[in-house]
Amino acid sequence: MKWLAHPWLTIRVQIALGVIFVAAALPKIVDPPSFAHMIYNYKLVPWSAINLMALVMPWIELLCGLALILGIWTGTARTIIAALLLAFVAAISINLLRGNAIDCGCFDVTAAGKTTEERLADMRLVILRDAGMLLMVAQLWYASRSAGSQPARAA
Amino acid sequence: MNWKKHFLEAATLIVAAVVCALVSNAVASRERKLAVVSPTSGGQPPTAVRPTPQRQTPQPPTPAPDSGGPLSSTQAPPATVKPEPATKKPTTENRQPTTAFNPHPDKPYIEIHGDDVAALHKKGVLFLDARRTSVYEQGHIPGARPFSVWESDIDEKVNKLFAERSDPRDQNLPIVIYCSGGDCEDSHMLAQKLWGIQFNNVYVYKDGFPDWQKRGQPVHTGPNP
Repeated sequence: MKWLAHPWLTIRVQIALGVIFVAAALPKIVDPPSFAHMIYNYKLVPWSAINLMALVMPWIELLCGLALILGIWTGTARTIIAALLLAFVAAISINLLRGNAIDCGCFDVTAAGKTTEERLADMRLVILRDAGMLLMVAQLWYASRSAGSQPARAA
Repeated sequence: MNWKKHFLEAATLIVAAVVCALVSNAVASRERKLAVVSPTSGGQPPTAVRPTPQRQTPQPPTPAPDSGGPLSSTQAPPATVKPEPATKKPTTENRQPTTAFNPHPDKPYIEIHGDDVAALHKKGVLFLDARRTSVYEQGHIPGARPFSVWESDIDEKVNKLFAERSDPRDQNLPIVIYCSGGDCEDSHMLAQKLWGIQFNNVYVYKDGFPDWQKRGQPVHTGPNP
């Protein structure tokens, strides 16, 4: 499993994950009211927290994405990203179980005008996509653990 | 693992995100600005501030006109056809055109469909577009005003409308609200808001703007009604 912790792979996964999060953050930063609307559609967040969440969450995504791209505070950035991904998966799953068809608002905050069936299918794909990103986080975590344990083994 | 270092870095990232969010929101244009804290009461959309005039004991309703001519608060009451309850889900089979648009102070809104909407539009009833202003500008029902519930100036607009129609009789004039139809709830949210400040005759165009277009009705584009 050495290849999994190889720096060649790790740096690419880190930058790819960073770019994904920057790309996801920008439309939300540009249009916070639409993102607030998306958050409302999830029917999970209390009224009083929707606007604050719509304003702050995209910036957390952006800063964590930039941190991964620039290689600054990567451990913390990937932990926050993992927490966000887990929260997204949970939120989408709850709405899938409820049968509440929503636009995920992940990369686009404009209402897509899709049918209920199309939205439900998209939500399943979003869960798979987020699971894929969680695997990327896991790779970064594994590579960091391997790198951290190597000096100890050498000693 | 250095937990203290991680915690400090995470706290710094989150504080930086909050600062960036507040600054970007402060410099954002009116249409893209959000109130930092949403109202806490149920049924209110997350907008800037709750409208200042709160609902009081409803006034005795003054029915609105049901036929012909521009609407005015002094016209004679119409025939008494009880409006459908807001909760009823009309289908193609059971849908009945509403022949009168009487005030209904006991419920925030009544859902109506294309024929009723066209009739009310013909009469010159006030139309409010609850979609985002950017979408409104791409095409809206002629005469409709932009009243997006997700934009920070919604309460300002609602209060201005309240000031325009401060006479209780004016508050019984019909108002039609629409958004994108389907599962769009923006018009319902706005209707709740208007009902909360004493507007007693609000109708929600259930199928919304897509239905209006489908019916081949006229559409205006641009920022003006």
